[in-house]
Amino acid sequence: MSNSKRLHPIAAVTNFFKQLKELIVPFIAFFVFGTKASEGDLWFFMGSIAVVMLVLGIGVLNWLRFSYRLEEGELRMEYGLLVRKKRYIPFDRIQSLDFSEGILHRPFGLVKVKVETAGPSGAADAEAVLTAITKEEANRIQDIIAQAKGKLVEGALDTEVERLEERAEENVIYQISSKELLVLATTSGGVGVVLSAMVAFLSQLDDLIPYESAYREVERVVSNGIVIVSVLVFIGFLLAWVVALIGTMVKFAQFTVKKTEREIIISRGLLEKRQITIPLNRIQAVRISENILRQPFGLCSVYLISAGGSVRNTEGSKVLLLPAVKKAQVAHILQEHLPILATKQPFNKPPKRSLPRYLFRGALMVVPFVITAIAIFKLWGLLSIMLFLFSSAWSYVIYKDAGWSIEGQQLNIQYRGFIKHTLFMKKNNVQSVSYKESFFQRRKNLATMTSLIKSGMGAIGGTIVDIEKEEAREIYHWYSHSQKAPF
Amino acid sequence: MNEPQKRISDKALSVWRITGAITSVSIMVMAGGVIWLSNVFSWPAWVVIAAVAAIILHVYLYVYLFPLLRWKRWRYEVREQEIELQQGVFVVKRTLVPMIRVQHVDTRQGPLLKKYGLATVDVSTAATVHEIPALPMEEAEELRQFISRLARVADEDV
Repeated sequence: MSNSKRLHPIAAVTNFFKQLKELIVPFIAFFVFGTKASEGDLWFFMGSIAVVMLVLGIGVLNWLRFSYRLEEGELRMEYGLLVRKKRYIPFDRIQSLDFSEGILHRPFGLVKVKVETAGPSGAADAEAVLTAITKEEANRIQDIIAQAKGKLVEGALDTEVERLEERAEENVIYQISSKELLVLATTSGGVGVVLSAMVAFLSQLDDLIPYESAYREVERVVSNGIVIVSVLVFIGFLLAWVVALIGTMVKFAQFTVKKTEREIIISRGLLEKRQITIPLNRIQAVRISENILRQPFGLCSVYLISAGGSVRNTEGSKVLLLPAVKKAQVAHILQEHLPILATKQPFNKPPKRSLPRYLFRGALMVVPFVITAIAIFKLWGLLSIMLFLFSSAWSYVIYKDAGWSIEGQQLNIQYRGFIKHTLFMKKNNVQSVSYKESFFQRRKNLATMTSLIKSGMGAIGGTIVDIEKEEAREIYHWYSHSQKAPF
Repeated sequence: MNEPQKRISDKALSVWRITGAITSVSIMVMAGGVIWLSNVFSWPAWVVIAAVAAIILHVYLYVYLFPLLRWKRWRYEVREQEIELQQGVFVVKRTLVPMIRVQHVDTRQGPLLKKYGLATVDVSTAATVHEIPALPMEEAEELRQFISRLARVADEDV
């Protein structure tokens, strides 16, 4: 247990590729903007090789210098090329271990282990990473840590057998079906990303493709017929969509949510396997999000808002729990598995008299565009008044989607920006609540409520605008910890 | 309406007025530049009038009106279980911070506050920071100790 170990050699290779990936942008920049004279080519070539060799060397040396061991209730790591660093993490400070398997890991049965700690908040190194170790080793570490922590929690009673039983007691609460995977992929916004990547890529190839002659070619084609061009564009879109589709499917394949006594474990991925562990006591809220593409199908995504994550890695703070499920089934799937209930009950809505305020706010957003349009296009610019129709429709949707409810110790808020969110939170996890009332709201007896919860290093909040003043006060009272009513 | 009880120091008014005056000076410099330019390029007269109006308006709002409204509105109350704040100029905002959520309390003081013997108290939770501006120094110090004592009693996870 106490002898220090090195990572698997693959760690050096992954480090090398990671460094190389970071170099690629300056590389391309150099390639595009760099010298075009032919005598520069050789230097450029040699230079590139030298840089790659250097990076490889650094990767190997870093690997040689990295060692870790488990001793005296701590995970101890020593590393650093020029500056030797030692990092000791006590087991009871370790919040969770996340395993992931990259393409390079899989043939060798390796995993990457991310150790998340309850370090000083805001610290960039609130986590440590073991880039590549064998699966058995990872499981061994997990067991040792769980055992040590279990002892801390349950005193000396804990025995090996009990531990093993608990480990076996993982129950799967959700597994993505192939139909859901397909729906998820078809409605993902990945198309835009792929398209822009294609455009960027094509513009990078300026030197390689003889655009001049290509344009002439295109001109001829265009004169031959618009039809061909539009077909080509359509095929381009279709291809981009298919690429995005496959990308999402590979990423979310085998999406599984498991639950043990103390934590939720989410694993996903086909080529690259990822596993995220969220301790139940770090969960701050549950959020259901419905984007416009998925809403017509009655689909939504469910996120866990967690206190985990660090400045560098915001991934730990909002974790996708269910990627695309029927909204009606959320409560059924989650049941009592989470400390927070995502039940579907009637929400209190803002009153009718706040609708004009919603419409007004929407219209206000459009005004600058309309003014600019009229200033530039004169009379034709008046057409932009049509924008008010869209803003009104959208504002009406926002108004319709706003709502709140309180059940016991839980506050639920529903609101929409572009995506409709429903936020479920326990009173214990709410960091602060504010009640806001502007001059105009006061005249109409309306108010705005905001409640903030911790998410990773920062706060996220649910705000619900223009509800009945009395209702806003009710929420305020519900949150107040003192006997004396604040209002 | 049952407002929080305690007001912040009335010296806060002076501090805010001075801060406002400092920003007003920068506006004056800019407006002065515009007036000079309009003189050089002989721009229409309304440019000068607008610049002068901007100066007057800014001084009125930031040196007189806003500090006054802000000070009148600012209330706070520290109870055993929670801290309540009320602030705002046109929008009244009331905030509740439960004692069990408070992680630490800081006091801070810039040169202006120091001159007036004032300090600002920052109450931090795990996710948010709430500020009580411009309290007399002893009061700020007392408050800081009071809150940190209560927060320690109400110790709980996250």
